[in-house]
Amino acid sequence: MGSAILVAEDQPDIRDLIALNLRQAGYDVTPVADGRAALDSQADRSSDLLILDLMMPGLDGLEVCKALRAKGRATPILMLTAKSTELDRVLGLELGADDYLTKPFSMAELLARVKALLRRADLMRQAQQAHGGSTLRNGEIEIVVARRDVRVRGQPVELTALEFDLLLHFAQHPGHVFSRAQLLDAVWGYSHEGYEHTVTTHINRLRAKLEADPMHPAVILTARGAGYKMRDAPA
Amino acid sequence: MTVRLRLALTIFATGVVTALGVLVTVAIAFQRFEHESVYERANAFLGRVVALHPDLLDLQARDADGFTGFLRNLLLFEPDSQLYLLDAQGNVLAASGSMQPAPGFKVRLEPVREAVAVAGDRRRAPYVMGDDPEHMNLDAVIAARPLHRSVIRRDAATAGYLYLVCQPPSLNVGHAEVYRSTLAGTAMSGVMALIICMTLCAAWIVATVTRPLRDLSDAVARAQRDGFEGAPALDGAAPAAGRDEFAQLRAGFHAMLTRLRAQWDALRRLDQFRRESVSNLSHDLRSPLTATAACLETLDRRWGTDPARSDDRAMLEVALRNTRNAAQLVRSLGDLALLDEPQFKLQPMTMNLAEMLDDIAMRFADRAARQGVALRNDSASQASVFAAVDIELFERALANLVDNALKHTSPSGRVTLRAHADGDRVCVTVEDDGSGIAAHHLEHLFDRLYTGEAARSDADGGSKGLGLAIVKRIVELHHGEVAVRSEPGRGTAVTITLPRDAA
Repeated sequence: MGSAILVAEDQPDIRDLIALNLRQAGYDVTPVADGRAALDSQADRSSDLLILDLMMPGLDGLEVCKALRAKGRATPILMLTAKSTELDRVLGLELGADDYLTKPFSMAELLARVKALLRRADLMRQAQQAHGGSTLRNGEIEIVVARRDVRVRGQPVELTALEFDLLLHFAQHPGHVFSRAQLLDAVWGYSHEGYEHTVTTHINRLRAKLEADPMHPAVILTARGAGYKMRDAPA
Repeated sequence: MTVRLRLALTIFATGVVTALGVLVTVAIAFQRFEHESVYERANAFLGRVVALHPDLLDLQARDADGFTGFLRNLLLFEPDSQLYLLDAQGNVLAASGSMQPAPGFKVRLEPVREAVAVAGDRRRAPYVMGDDPEHMNLDAVIAARPLHRSVIRRDAATAGYLYLVCQPPSLNVGHAEVYRSTLAGTAMSGVMALIICMTLCAAWIVATVTRPLRDLSDAVARAQRDGFEGAPALDGAAPAAGRDEFAQLRAGFHAMLTRLRAQWDALRRLDQFRRESVSNLSHDLRSPLTATAACLETLDRRWGTDPARSDDRAMLEVALRNTRNAAQLVRSLGDLALLDEPQFKLQPMTMNLAEMLDDIAMRFADRAARQGVALRNDSASQASVFAAVDIELFERALANLVDNALKHTSPSGRVTLRAHADGDRVCVTVEDDGSGIAAHHLEHLFDRLYTGEAARSDADGGSKGLGLAIVKRIVELHHGEVAVRSEPGRGTAVTITLPRDAA
């Protein structure tokens, strides 16, 4: 049996099509029609992945998302939205969703995202286990992996979940150049044309928080024509 | 200078000029009266002297030295005057004053003759002005009588004149006192009070008359500052029409403003309705399109391996491609409606645009390679072209431009990206050596749904028309400008210019 996926979508046509395609791909799908049912279904047993429509009668996708995160559930959530503004609200404001898809989307895209999210959750779990107790250092930057704690020159720095994941990825591969597509794939867990700006935005924010002079970055460097890298850890 | 001030100044100046005119007239009349009375007295005095001493010339000839004393004695009761004895040519023979004129000193004869004539006929003139030997720079009131030598016949030729000069008032303390007390004291203060009263009155009248004008100009200024949406530019209901021109102007302005505001509101409502309609339509079309596309994809996968279905699959692919194009168009329409919303806010971040061009070049590298187009970022290798931009939107604008450039560039062509700082502005250029755009299409290039001659090619399903409109809107949101330079057959260069600290 494949991973367990919950689909909460109030439009029956779309819900059935998603369920059909996911089942064909070998997943164990539980379709529900609203947010309340989605939350109830998670009460005793967590699914491996949630697909939530943002606009649902009663409890909407964001509220379900917040309620689950408040309970400490880390289940990956894929949000379906109809308006592109809501993208920023979901990801940019870090309300807890891991990825989003704007309607109209294609089933191939949905399947790719689902696969990527599940793989990423898996990788994160492994990374957590591998580096669980470790502390990464790069010059004045210190990362305590298990506590998701970052200090620059001893001062704690507030990072969002994605900023932390991005920094962790860089810190685990100092000196290694990643293209934006590779970072999208490795940190966000999907590779889809048109979302690379998200990487740029997050690198910019990271620089603003870590660099002494964000205009002339010294930690997260640009490799022109190739991508971004973290400087080699100073000896 | 305000109209109010100008009017007040005009009235004040008129008042001052009028007052000065009155003063001068009064002063002249006063002086004339003075001269007249002085002359009257002098004339009578001379008459008496000549009647008593008809042989003055002989007396002088006999005893020149004693004559001066004689003259002085005559003047005992006429302290403000000097007596002179003249010969027929006007030479001074003797003088009563302490200042004796030099021998041969002459006074002008015309006034003397005039004075003689006036003495005989008072209708000719009220008084006569002539030379004062003691003050040759000033004329003084004079009187004269003809004298004859050894009188036998009264009508014999005139042998000389008895000449009386009345001292000018400026030399006379008493006269100056009179001037001050009567003119300066009473007239001046009266006139000044009048001027002040008039000016105050004028100020009040001007203020009253121009108040509507000032209200109106305030209202216009308010309307200009706040637009039609501000508080009502003219308070209260429409003012009563009629009465004067100001009231009519005010009423006209009020009516115009009301009408403009109504039209503006209607336009705004219409625009909002249009935006909301497009946004809602785009939103409502998304679900059915998602469902349709999903159905087609599912079918496509099912039939994928069945050779008997290959014709059906070809049809399915057309359906799927068109559905996706429709979906793309719907998404662009929705995005544009969103960007058009007045409350839409950018999320600017300072970013090196040369770096952003690198990212874009990498993003399109595969597609350019497939097409055989050389796509590269030509910015100086260490260029730091920092500007505050909304990364998502600005990258979208650049991507739309690169996408467009690639579409119109044939294999072995090139697309070049460039960023540079220019003073307090930054420029980003996307240049291709593709098919170019005819001049008559250029000005409509950024209009919504305008697609030039290469109308909706099935590859982009018409979304191209929105792509450039989105670019334009995004650049507008950044307070920048888009400029296109193009030559058919030679290529196109689109340049975005932004202020350094946009948004």
